[in-house]
Amino acid sequence: MQLFMQTLVGGIGFGAVYALVGMGFTIVYRTMGLVNFAHGQIAMIGAFLSATFFLDTKLPFAVAAIMSMAATAVVGLVIEGILRPLEARDFDLMLIGTLGFGVVLEAVATRIWGATGRAVPAPVDRPLQVFGIIIRTYDLVVIGVGAVAAVAVWVLLNRTKAGAAMQAVAMDRDAATSVGIRVGRSNAMAFALGAGLAALAGTLAAPLLYVTPSLGSSLGIKGFCAAILGGFGNINGAVIGGLAFGILDGFAAGHFQQYSDTVTFLVFAIAIMVRPTGILGELTVNRA
Amino acid sequence: MTRKAAVTRKAAVTRKAAVTRKAAGLVLIAVLACLLPHQLNVYWVHVADVAVIYGILALGLALTMGAAGQVNLAQVAFFGVGAYGSAILTTHGWPFWVAALVALVAAGLVGLLVSIPALRVQSHYLGIVTLGLSLAFTNLVTNTALTGQADGLNSLVVPPLFGLNLSSDYVYYYVELAALALCLAWAAFVVHTRLGRRLRAMRDDPLAAASIGAEIPYLRITAFVLGAAFGGIAGILYAGLIRYVSPASFSLSSMFFVLAGFIIGGRFSLLGAVGGAVFLVLLREELSNYEAYAQILYGGLVVVIVVFAPTGLVGIVPSITKAIKRRTKAVRDSRSGASDEVQQTRLGAAPYQAVRLTNGGSSTGVADSSAALVVEHLTKRFRGLTALEDVDLLVPAGQIRGIVGPNGSGKTTLFNIISGIYTPTDGTTEVFGFRASRATSYRLARHGVARTFQNLRLFGRLTVRDNVLVALDQSRTVWAWRYFLWPFGVLHADATMRQDADELLSMYGLSDVADSLPGVLSYGSQRRVEIARAMARRPRILLLDEPAAGLNGQEMHQLAEIVRDVRASGVTVVLIEHNMGLVMSLCDQVTVLANGRVIADSTPEVVAYDEAVIAAYLGDSSDDNGSRPAQVNT
Amino acid sequence: MKVTTTSRQWQLAVAACSVLVVISGCSSSKKTTGSSTSSAGAAAGTTAAGSAPASGSAPSSAASAAGASATVSDTSPIKIAVIDAQSGQSSSLGKWEYDGVKLAVDQANAAGGINGRKVELTVFDDQGDPTVSTNLARKAVSDGFIAVLGPAESADAIAMSPIFQQAKIPYITSGQSPAMPKLGDPYLFLNSPTSTTYDTTLANYAVKTANFTKIAMISNNGAYGKGEHDAFTAALKALNVTPVADQIVTPDQTDFSAALTSIRQKNPDALFIGAEEVESGLIAKQARGLGIKATIIGAAPTSTPIFVQTAGTANAEGAVSSTPYLTNDTNAQTKAFAAAYDAAYGSEPELHGAKAYDGAEIMLQGLKTTNGAGGQALDDAIRAVKYQGLVGNFAFDSTGVGVHETQIGIIKNGVLTAAAS
Repeated sequence: MQLFMQTLVGGIGFGAVYALVGMGFTIVYRTMGLVNFAHGQIAMIGAFLSATFFLDTKLPFAVAAIMSMAATAVVGLVIEGILRPLEARDFDLMLIGTLGFGVVLEAVATRIWGATGRAVPAPVDRPLQVFGIIIRTYDLVVIGVGAVAAVAVWVLLNRTKAGAAMQAVAMDRDAATSVGIRVGRSNAMAFALGAGLAALAGTLAAPLLYVTPSLGSSLGIKGFCAAILGGFGNINGAVIGGLAFGILDGFAAGHFQQYSDTVTFLVFAIAIMVRPTGILGELTVNRA
Repeated sequence: MTRKAAVTRKAAVTRKAAVTRKAAGLVLIAVLACLLPHQLNVYWVHVADVAVIYGILALGLALTMGAAGQVNLAQVAFFGVGAYGSAILTTHGWPFWVAALVALVAAGLVGLLVSIPALRVQSHYLGIVTLGLSLAFTNLVTNTALTGQADGLNSLVVPPLFGLNLSSDYVYYYVELAALALCLAWAAFVVHTRLGRRLRAMRDDPLAAASIGAEIPYLRITAFVLGAAFGGIAGILYAGLIRYVSPASFSLSSMFFVLAGFIIGGRFSLLGAVGGAVFLVLLREELSNYEAYAQILYGGLVVVIVVFAPTGLVGIVPSITKAIKRRTKAVRDSRSGASDEVQQTRLGAAPYQAVRLTNGGSSTGVADSSAALVVEHLTKRFRGLTALEDVDLLVPAGQIRGIVGPNGSGKTTLFNIISGIYTPTDGTTEVFGFRASRATSYRLARHGVARTFQNLRLFGRLTVRDNVLVALDQSRTVWAWRYFLWPFGVLHADATMRQDADELLSMYGLSDVADSLPGVLSYGSQRRVEIARAMARRPRILLLDEPAAGLNGQEMHQLAEIVRDVRASGVTVVLIEHNMGLVMSLCDQVTVLANGRVIADSTPEVVAYDEAVIAAYLGDSSDDNGSRPAQVNT
Repeated sequence: MKVTTTSRQWQLAVAACSVLVVISGCSSSKKTTGSSTSSAGAAAGTTAAGSAPASGSAPSSAASAAGASATVSDTSPIKIAVIDAQSGQSSSLGKWEYDGVKLAVDQANAAGGINGRKVELTVFDDQGDPTVSTNLARKAVSDGFIAVLGPAESADAIAMSPIFQQAKIPYITSGQSPAMPKLGDPYLFLNSPTSTTYDTTLANYAVKTANFTKIAMISNNGAYGKGEHDAFTAALKALNVTPVADQIVTPDQTDFSAALTSIRQKNPDALFIGAEEVESGLIAKQARGLGIKATIIGAAPTSTPIFVQTAGTANAEGAVSSTPYLTNDTNAQTKAFAAAYDAAYGSEPELHGAKAYDGAEIMLQGLKTTNGAGGQALDDAIRAVKYQGLVGNFAFDSTGVGVHETQIGIIKNGVLTAAAS
């Protein structure tokens, strides 16, 4: 029972991280029509920034996280400008182009922060005892923060003007322009939002893993798998898919130890073959 | 000599000269490649060896991704299977070349397994799935004792080859060069003959490819097996060269590296893919002390190429020379005051000569008394929208049938169901007695169904002749075993098909534009190409979806002649049209659809005056002028 | 596939030819200059490469040519290569090693070099990747280096073995995997005790001195980790102790919750970690986070500042380490070394710098004996060296191992201190 609960909680914890990555990725896709495979590297940049704020300038973890999200959002605006020409290309080329850009980001991070990486201590490290079962406290923090973020995103998209504008642009870019929505600004905001979510994901993952330039690659791939598993283009799907993928990964690690990656990706491949549109079904974007 | 004939003659002469120049260029490259090692020291020869291996690996990508359009991010896993396969077996005492053969077969089998997701998903989905499988492979290999786990297998044997000392990187270079030459030749052989044409057609438009008989799932499997085979060959050569295999060599970063080389070189060109990979290996070696900068460079190059030159470096040089040519020509023209009209306008097909075909292309020359098409109670719903409701249709063999109706009445949906693109929610379709309701497009194509599309689906990167050749190819995918075991049969069959294609092209007046890409033709000519392609299939029933859209008067006239000739050759024709004049003059019978239902089904004259039909088109107003659609003179 | 504008194919052919011509041209200059080679070495390299197409034995002729020319010319520098991870996860190790080697070489050069000839060091980055190492080994051979110091990763050292053996280039490595002496490579030397030594000392301390009864193990399946795992298990067996858990992870894993949760269930009082510095730190950190209170024990990696940094000072407290180099204050020799190191680099040395320094000193002694020559002579000279080093008394046996004992240290307040034994 102990093992099962610990694995489940840990899996949901990572699932929250993947959900955040998947959400940011999906928001960018839904509003800009851009499939951005460098999204994981943006999460990595967020992780490095919060590690720097937390460890070097000794700011409290929460403050470091928020500052990192803001800084990464700004970086995201710059990146959006660079990636804009790719929006017009077909998906295959978009995939390859953003993959290439991800390689660039990873190399830039290596130049700035070095390849050795940084270990980030968890802000809370005493394990909890719940009904005699020992749970890693930080896992609960991650799940909590992830849930709050998901709700905040929902509120932003469905209850604010800016969010409505983003959704409008996703549905019909020309119609949105004709009602006065500034598409360029809306897209930039959407990308910044996506980048901020990625930064949060990276920050939360840092104490669980180890911050190196290659962190982006593993978070990115698992985040995309999560988004596809839940239903590509569907923001709720990203959340569901993230949790599902995290739990799958956790139990694969628990039962198959070192072979966890083999099992996880094989199961994912089979799941996608059985249901290509994902758990909640895909929502494609009309790109003019 | 007329100007047109002169242009044609000049084009043929230029073509021949260019082919000769190309052959000379290739020979020059080959000679230089052979002389290369004498210039290099031990270390750089080794680098050259690694470069050639990556070139072969990229060649696999060129087949799977470039030719067949299948996103293949597992290529590095195939590389690994080849390398590890030969490493493991030789470590257990197997003779090297036997081990190599087994490893190659293993790579092919793994390719077959990896192709299975490609039957269900494509594009970026397939990218992520294959990427995940790549990671699964690396993980598996890092943990299995058989593969030496994280540290791999060391001190592998030197491949024996007729007493040559293959531990010398210089000698190995020549062996690799021979392998590369063979691989390139075979890849070019595949790409330029029937299998390659089918793969490229599938890449350009899977829907249209299926409609002319390409068995899409088998082709996807073939694409992956081909890519995996080349990956396996590269892996075997790698194990023989480095004589040390470890998971680090088959990681994700290696995958991106070879992908980058493939894109930068030119994803639609075999030589480009090889050149790009070789170029990147040399670049990385030059910058070996500046690893991070090297990555920024080639990552950035990928982005730049994708945005500005998606066909890669191979495509850049011709674009530049073309631009230069245009500019110098414009300068020259403005000086001399002449202008070449033929080249400025879009190319057009020759006027269609009406031919009363006697023994035509139909497989059953005798008029069939059975029904060509029987549709019963056909219903199609899309998640709440009912496109077709209880549609009945009976088309006797040899008829020209018109399907008309306002926009959104379900006509194209009907065609899509008949040709196998959609499956009906309810009801059945039968084509010449064959139960067609749930058959796939390519199966229906084999049973004699051919069609054109409302928004023109030609294979954009194939010439007009190739478009027709793909359709002429009636063989099943399984026929492809001849590529491995009897290539001469392939060449012979290709030559025969070429003759048939030329005949068909001249019949449709397309001989002059046979070597052009469809994109440079006028719209009407493109439509004609589509019809010629459909007819190349020798169908029994031809479905034309709005063939007259966008045609001018003369072209429409010729279209009518073509349709009549098609019917005369024994093919049943069903056409969707909005041009009432054409419908009236051409069709024996007309079926009218509105809101997914059949509201009239009779001869054109009767249908034209049917009240329900008029109401559907013009609305319910009772004071219409009683205008009749004009008839087209024939 | 190719667009049939045949002029495009012509242009492509021309472009490809020009590229090849450029490559041929550039690489013919590669013949005469590698990265940072000197003229004498280059001359030897050129003549060797010129005859290479006929024979595969270019490397040995290059080495002997270099050896021959060395005895003729008096003032050309002696070329030694340092091959180590300067990037990637092990890069701090690589940096410490290079610093240690450079200190020794700079001191030697300041004292007049080897009979008047300066020693020239060139560093190559193998990124901690065995494949890159094999490429660099070939590069070192073709560029005329007569000796190599490094690498720190056992896997890389093993990968390079066949190449250096064929070229008769001795190399002194800092790895400790027992797989290395097992290779039987006469050109391979270790400046460190093997895992067997480390772990026997550690096991003896754990069982006999600290009286741990339930010992859990977690190690990775890389060359180093496997060596540690096997050595420690064997050492425990000799003491009739069976570990209560034996978890295996991979060298680049970063999340160990599955393995650690399983270990926690066995309630161990000691946790043995067989992994490199960073991974050991991560394992310690996550173990504490999961409520594992066992004492962390391990070999060399747990003695390094990197381990303390990665695990966090609180989590590393009380960790036990088996290492031949405890502190810089052990004796007069280490104090002098630390002072010189600090003066040169502004920081305190530790085990890896000390090991590398010892290795370099031994190499220099060997070179003095052969008067700057390489090859078999240098190899024999190194094997004959008896040297009182920072990490122990060196006396190389036939398998290349020079030091055969270690000591026990405990981390207190983030600093390694000698254990009361």
